[in-house]
Amino acid sequence: MALEQQTEMSRAETDSVLARNETGVLSLARDDEPYAIPISYGYDAETRTFFLRLVSTPESEKREFLSSSPAVRLVVSEESEPEYRSVVAQGTLREVSTDEMTVERIEQFGDAKRPLFEVWGESKTDLRIQLYELDADDVSGRFIELDPSEYA
Amino acid sequence: MSASEDIVFTCPECGETMVVNPAMQDALLSNGCVVCGASVADDAFEVADAACE
Repeated sequence: MALEQQTEMSRAETDSVLARNETGVLSLARDDEPYAIPISYGYDAETRTFFLRLVSTPESEKREFLSSSPAVRLVVSEESEPEYRSVVAQGTLREVSTDEMTVERIEQFGDAKRPLFEVWGESKTDLRIQLYELDADDVSGRFIELDPSEYA
Repeated sequence: MSASEDIVFTCPECGETMVVNPAMQDALLSNGCVVCGASVADDAFEVADAACE
């Protein structure tokens, strides 16, 4: 297998990947137990803040992890042969209550894709929807050009 | 119209309620419910005049 070329993306390139995608995998942890979930997000490139709506059922693991794990990582990736890009954001989750709502926040959460409530198979009123902001302390992006022969 | 009146938003889908100002009302009409993302129409807002309470 030929060597692939991997380079670090600039801030502008990284922000561009985050802006044109809307889903990723959010990783949380509790003690030595990991937990990862697919999520959709909105993103403010200026402040490097992600806006998330997280949906959980009353007894779900997600709810337990969210209450104990404010430190998280979010991975967003895309592949367009022969290029592959990935972004890892590391930061802290903070729950936003509706008492803190502003015009700006309504617009920012409006950029986050609507949750697919259908996947829970329960009444929406039985689901708990929590709003979170992820303030990223660090965002890094990688660009890899895959070996074209792998796609021959 | 009284300056003390509040606008109460109630999402028709998730039932979320919150007191909003006119600018937030416009933002909700444009962006949908901030909690569940459902589309929002004018009838999701009710004016509650605090002076009449």
